[in-house]
Amino acid sequence: MSELEFEDSTLVHQLHERAKELECLYLVKKIVNREQQNINDVFEKLVNVIASGWQFPSLCSVRINYAKDTFVSENFSASSWVQSAKLNLRGKPVGEVEVHYNDESVHITNPFLPEEQQLLNTIAERIENFLYQQDLQSTISQWEIAKSDLDSNKKPDWMIILELVEKMDSKLFNKLSRRMLNRLCLLGVEDAQNVLGCLGINKTCDNIPTERDINIPSLKINFELYDKFDQHIFKIASDNLSAEEITSYLNNWIKEDKTGFLVNVLENTNSPLSEIAAAISRFHHLNLANVEISSYSRTNINALFIQRIFTEQIEFIRSAREHIDISDFYSIMQHSIYPNNSHGKLGGKSAGLFIAWQFLKKAGIKVSIPHTWYVSSDYMLKFIYFNNLEEVMEQKYKSLEEIRAEYTNLVQIFKNSDFPLDLVNNLSMAIEDFGEKPIIVRSSSLLEDRFGSAFSGKYKSLFLANQGTKEERLTDVLDAIAEIYASTFSPDPIEYRKEHKLLEFHEEMAIIIQEVVGEKVGDYFFPSFAGVGFGYNEYRWSPKIKKEDGLLRIVPGLGTRAVDRLSDDYPVLICPANPGLKVNPIPSEAIKYSPGKIDVINLKENSFETVNLNELIKNNSGSYPDIEKLFSVYEDDLFKSKNRYQIDGEKDALFFTLEPFIESTDLIKNLKNVLDELNNRLDTIVDIEFAYSKNQLYLLQCRPQAGSSASLPQPIPMDLDENDILFTAKKFVTNGLVDNIEYTVYIDPESYNSISSLKKLERVGRAVGKLNSVLPRRCFILMGPGRWGSRGDIKMGVKVNYSDINNTAMLIEIARKKGDYVPEVSFGTHFFQDLVEASIKYLPLYPDDSNVIFKDAVLTRSKNMLSDILPEFSDLADVVFVTDLKKENDGKILRVLLNEEINEAIALFAEPTTHESTYDVYSHPDVKKEDFWTWRYSMAETIAAGINPDEFGVNAIYIIGSTKNATAGPMSDIDLLIHITGEPEKKKLLSKWLDGWSRCLGRMNYLRTGYKTEKLLDIHYITDFDIEQKTSMAVKIDAVTDAARKLIIGKDDA
Amino acid sequence: MNKSYNAFKMAQQQFDSIAEHLSLDQGTRSLLRVPMREYHVNIPVKMDDGTVEVFNGFRCQHNDALGPGKGGIRFHPLETIDTVRALSMWMTWKCSVVDIPLGGSKGGVVCDPHHLSTGEQERICRGYMRQIAGALGPVRDVPAPDVMTSAQHMLWMMDEYETITGGKYPGVITGKPVGLGGSLGRTEATGFGVVFTLREALKELNISPSETTASIQGFGNVAQYAIQLFIQLGGTVTCVSCWDQNEAKSFAFSKKDGINLDELRSITDHFGGIDKEKAQDLGYEVLPGEAWIEQSVDILIPAALENQITAENVSKISRSVKIIAEAANGPTTPEADQVLKERGIFVIPDFLANAGGVTCSYFEQVQNNMNYYWEKDEVISKLDIKMTSAFMAVSGLARKNNLFMRDAAYIISVNRVAEACKLRGWT
Repeated sequence: MSELEFEDSTLVHQLHERAKELECLYLVKKIVNREQQNINDVFEKLVNVIASGWQFPSLCSVRINYAKDTFVSENFSASSWVQSAKLNLRGKPVGEVEVHYNDESVHITNPFLPEEQQLLNTIAERIENFLYQQDLQSTISQWEIAKSDLDSNKKPDWMIILELVEKMDSKLFNKLSRRMLNRLCLLGVEDAQNVLGCLGINKTCDNIPTERDINIPSLKINFELYDKFDQHIFKIASDNLSAEEITSYLNNWIKEDKTGFLVNVLENTNSPLSEIAAAISRFHHLNLANVEISSYSRTNINALFIQRIFTEQIEFIRSAREHIDISDFYSIMQHSIYPNNSHGKLGGKSAGLFIAWQFLKKAGIKVSIPHTWYVSSDYMLKFIYFNNLEEVMEQKYKSLEEIRAEYTNLVQIFKNSDFPLDLVNNLSMAIEDFGEKPIIVRSSSLLEDRFGSAFSGKYKSLFLANQGTKEERLTDVLDAIAEIYASTFSPDPIEYRKEHKLLEFHEEMAIIIQEVVGEKVGDYFFPSFAGVGFGYNEYRWSPKIKKEDGLLRIVPGLGTRAVDRLSDDYPVLICPANPGLKVNPIPSEAIKYSPGKIDVINLKENSFETVNLNELIKNNSGSYPDIEKLFSVYEDDLFKSKNRYQIDGEKDALFFTLEPFIESTDLIKNLKNVLDELNNRLDTIVDIEFAYSKNQLYLLQCRPQAGSSASLPQPIPMDLDENDILFTAKKFVTNGLVDNIEYTVYIDPESYNSISSLKKLERVGRAVGKLNSVLPRRCFILMGPGRWGSRGDIKMGVKVNYSDINNTAMLIEIARKKGDYVPEVSFGTHFFQDLVEASIKYLPLYPDDSNVIFKDAVLTRSKNMLSDILPEFSDLADVVFVTDLKKENDGKILRVLLNEEINEAIALFAEPTTHESTYDVYSHPDVKKEDFWTWRYSMAETIAAGINPDEFGVNAIYIIGSTKNATAGPMSDIDLLIHITGEPEKKKLLSKWLDGWSRCLGRMNYLRTGYKTEKLLDIHYITDFDIEQKTSMAVKIDAVTDAARKLIIGKDDA
Repeated sequence: MNKSYNAFKMAQQQFDSIAEHLSLDQGTRSLLRVPMREYHVNIPVKMDDGTVEVFNGFRCQHNDALGPGKGGIRFHPLETIDTVRALSMWMTWKCSVVDIPLGGSKGGVVCDPHHLSTGEQERICRGYMRQIAGALGPVRDVPAPDVMTSAQHMLWMMDEYETITGGKYPGVITGKPVGLGGSLGRTEATGFGVVFTLREALKELNISPSETTASIQGFGNVAQYAIQLFIQLGGTVTCVSCWDQNEAKSFAFSKKDGINLDELRSITDHFGGIDKEKAQDLGYEVLPGEAWIEQSVDILIPAALENQITAENVSKISRSVKIIAEAANGPTTPEADQVLKERGIFVIPDFLANAGGVTCSYFEQVQNNMNYYWEKDEVISKLDIKMTSAFMAVSGLARKNNLFMRDAAYIISVNRVAEACKLRGWT
């Protein structure tokens, strides 16, 4: 046997042993947790299962001594090979558990494994818990008996209670008399105040130290004195209060006292999670959650629990503490995995979800959360120490370039590391519990989803199909956890933490393992639909929609497609306050913008996939969960809702519209309630993730609504020099920032309106399309009259398609008064969803309103670049005005600040800022702005120098775009214009050669900046013909603005 | 003088030039340059929030000398009466060219469905019908869906009309779903109609369809059915182009020995976009969208958008092209049209080639009025007869007077209407 095989077999053996132990513990737990049973039965059962956890179960026998009784397993024989553990109740020894090995069968060495002693201790602990519960239960039943006796004896209830308490628990008795005295004093009973006087306490009960005497120690009173007065106190009570009143006070105080153990454990910062779990379990089994606990002690328990389990953030505790159902703690702790002596937490994501769910439950809103297991945050550290990976903790102080370079390797190191055995064991229990249902393993770090920091999407969430043998499934889960642990050290979150000064925050990563909501369709698994809900609607397609109406993005299948912006597909957008107001009311629009793809889990392939929605339905003989409620059939130029007898999943033209569902259920109203409730309760605007399957709505996540800085309200500066303002707006303003605009394309409404030929009107649209392809992406804004992309009368707006405007940073519609009416603007409705997915801002301007500024003269009187850029459209120079803002304003760019809160927007000329565009506005501490283009430029020169013109058929090579213009940012391509001879073979060779460069530069750029692009070069080939005809990119050569710059080629050969 | 573009003035100018050509008398000219009747209505509508909004609506009946008016109802926030006037005149010529007994109308409501809930839209439709029912009806004026209106809007209006009149009159409106008064064959009508006229054109040029190849721009409903029938006739389609939504540009798919329609349909989305990768796997060459026009084929069928054959690309049309069948509306710009005339390419003008749609609406109404519905074959064969004779009339006139097809089509349609007015004693 080779060394490796040997190691393997030992490992397998060990694992096998741990599995047995686990199984044994599970059996023990099952026996003791059964409700309503007597002690003898339990012990008789226990002695026969305990042996199964030992190395040689058939040779083992078990004995339990409890009080005066002895319980033995069937084959019991006492021996000298024995392991034992003591049983204690209320700190006093009450018995022991022993495991014996048959003497004859054991020959040489100690048959016991060290782990087996641990196992025995754990079993003993479980039994102790059980005994304690039994004990308390019997106390309670004695009470009940005593209470029922009262009637017959005619003694007042409270007196019997008191006698019983005095006999059984003298401490409690003292506590009761103390509280009764206080109560009587509060009620103003003179006798009681006299008693206090005898005790040396001010008669008026107001002996609370005042501010003034704070520096003199108050007199200590010996509380033992109370004992003397006990009888007297209750005599006073009976004179002043009715028997019912006294009984009710006593009852409440006794009950409250019973929760004391839980408070003690929670309050003690040293108590590990295991103790908390035990206390909560005890609390649960005593059924204490259902007895009346005063609201303040409930609040106290809630606050303490949140603090220990979830977060120490005060704001969070404050908003949550009142609204939790204590009994739900039990379920959480039952499904939590933590190391011994753990002081970890379950992380931000768990907290957000749990609290949200609690709020909704309280508000009576029907929402579920998926079956979940939690792994506490300190396991990550344990994992790191276990594998001697401590050095990763320093990772965050390295340069981002280093972090990036090392990250891929780090992930692999984590994935190839071992997990602490106890974690493996516990997870294996969770896996057993999940069975073969697909799961999602999600990060839940301490930083995530905290109030005030939207730390979203920085760490990983991984879907697992969770199919196969238990070992395979366990391996997959471990692998996923390793990857999520590693993501704590990935460049993105560290960069974010650096910027938000959170680097020193002690970050730990808890894990949530959730059952994926959904059902099986063929080989696939997915929910009927899923989506995200936003408390604030940032994208309003109609003036009738208000910001606080919220917004839902819903997709078929898994919600991943609703969370991300999609470049090739669309979610269904719904305004929850007004679901009838559709974004796409016209059938042709509804078809165009309906979801075409779906994210699913492929159970057969054990993978996460994106598939074509219609193909999925057709390949599964037309079935999809709730198909008749979620899909409309397009037939005869209209959308029909069909019932399940009419619908033909294979043949009908199905579109995911949710329409029948919206009409026939309260779902949207329900989601609106969810958002409203959470917004109010958490006192912050939230966003949620949800899924719907099998008639159930599930909440998957709840966190403060995040906004990139580009979509946050921008402060509108006051006291600006009016010369610096281009326009202001005070109607239908959204939030956001559009920065570093270098060009404006302005269609003058008056001149446009006075065009008399249809042909010329259409040419305006074509000129815009051409400008859109020539001007630098997201560095220009389009401003024009009325409705962009209008389908009707061309005079109402420039006729364009989305592809004619898709590079603009902002779309502005100008509503100029015509006679006595102001035309309606479109709100971008013709390509609304495209604008949303591409984050293109929209703003209507009403220049004829009072109190706004609109300086069209600045745009019409500046040098119009149109004829220089597009000579073929020079006839439109009196309509289409293209302004190079930097040139006209001494290097200043245009910045548009939008603030919805005060419904104001302003466009002002300002110095350019250092970040590249408005789409990823975060700065890069390590790389200077200049580096982006200088590095690109030098790389372009290197490429040009390396080209062999004859071999590749190259006449010339030019650089264009952001690298040439020194505006390149971390994401920018390097745009090269290559004038080729046009020989196909040579072109092929060249493309291949450049492709290698492109990939290599993409990787280098990633390491420098963190922006992932597979390829960095954007190559435009042109031929003599193109140059002659001035087609496509050839216009850039010798152009008046933004001309291409020639690079020296083939220098290397010389 | 207001020199701003005005669709109605454009339509009047075009009519004036034809009237001049035909030497129409002043009375006829005066009558035909304006709509005979216009209705302006204000529709009060209770909105979802309890408020009342008043919407402006129009209906223009340009001319009903040949029969009841026919024309769509548009929902548009910036609708103007001049646009509606111009469009109603177009409808008169369009019905007349295929010689169906219908006049020209158009209507609209100033509103934006994007800002209206479904319920609000329904109330607008019903409100509009309540105001204007007296002017409409199967024997007076028959609306149809148009910009931003759909079959659903038509059904609400029909229902309101029937409620007002107390009878069943599905013929009050067209564009209804099959089963609620719609006609079979409507999906195929426009595409098939194009090929019926194409077939006649080939006959006239003495070319057998089986010897011809065609390149088609677009792969939507019209294009697909045109291709289907053309292949059935024995023709070969070597290239189709379509719009790719993801890349926001068009691509052409070519196969020298002819495309397989079913194969391409199976990899096409609802919007007529063909999956590029899958097409490549099936052996299609994927070219830039503009390539459709450069193919060495006998026939070009632009079946996508307007203004596709322009002064810039008209020179790229291959010498082999003999016929252009305009399946789309206004695919050829006037400058390009001039070049086509000079090159002697046979153009089947749009309002003749794509009249299959309006003809089928007419059939729908005919079936409604007799409450008896034909099988699809019957609809298609009647369509064939209508389209063929319309083509023969236009081409006959063109040949006899050495006119271009487009001019001949206008002349025929205006002439028919003018003659009807005269015979009725109106002018």
